[in-house]
Amino acid sequence: MPRVKRGTMTHKRHKRILKDAAGYWGGRRRLFKTAKEAVIKAMDDAFRGRKQKKRDFRRLWIVRINAGCRLNAMTYNRFIDGLNKANIDINRKVLADLAIAEPAAFAELVAKSKAALA
Amino acid sequence: MKSFLAKSQEVDHSWLLVDATDLVLGRMSARVASLLRGKHKPIFTPNVDTGDFVIIVNAHKVRVTADKMATKIRLTHSRYPGGQKAEPLGRAMEKNAAEAVRRVIKGMLPKNALGRKMALKLKIYAGDTHPHAAQQPVNITESFRQ
Repeated sequence: MPRVKRGTMTHKRHKRILKDAAGYWGGRRRLFKTAKEAVIKAMDDAFRGRKQKKRDFRRLWIVRINAGCRLNAMTYNRFIDGLNKANIDINRKVLADLAIAEPAAFAELVAKSKAALA
Repeated sequence: MKSFLAKSQEVDHSWLLVDATDLVLGRMSARVASLLRGKHKPIFTPNVDTGDFVIIVNAHKVRVTADKMATKIRLTHSRYPGGQKAEPLGRAMEKNAAEAVRRVIKGMLPKNALGRKMALKLKIYAGDTHPHAAQQPVNITESFRQ
């Protein structure tokens, strides 16, 4: 049986971690031990960030829809209530985009919502 | 579809004028802070300053409810022992009404570099004149009186 020396696998493992830590500050990109900690934490943050992104954007859309509603003398709260009652099912992402890109279409939706509430 | 994100060089900042005479300080400030931040525009983007410039005149004629001129007290500390100072709102208004109102509104803006930049768009004058006629501010005082 051929003789097996250690080191190759360790080097390979270290290389992978250090590659992921490229661009980090100081020892966090140079030293294996700190780099490994930093990479684990970074992946944790990235995982959490992918979930939070969805909530953050929904919040932003709501702020924008509210701004669009207030330009049409309404509030977000009542606008959504009206849309539900009018059976208009448009998600907040599209509503926010309409408020920016198609203010006229958005105003129409506000009018429909108001009619449903009246 | 990607959500729209405003670019700072593409945002229009218009100029608005508010006459603070007989407006309630806190209610007016909340509205003004929102205008400075740009939350009244559908293009609002949290990491970009999308707000408008706001000029407030007659800051010394602003009103507070109840007896807050005497009882609303601002505490500061010099960090020396016994260095705490207390200043009622009324005294701050007498000393420098514009600064007192500015502090209130600034406290309602984000506490970061962007918030400090937004606060620069706020121009407050104790009297009823302002030097921003060239910017042709739109008087929106009426929308505050309801």
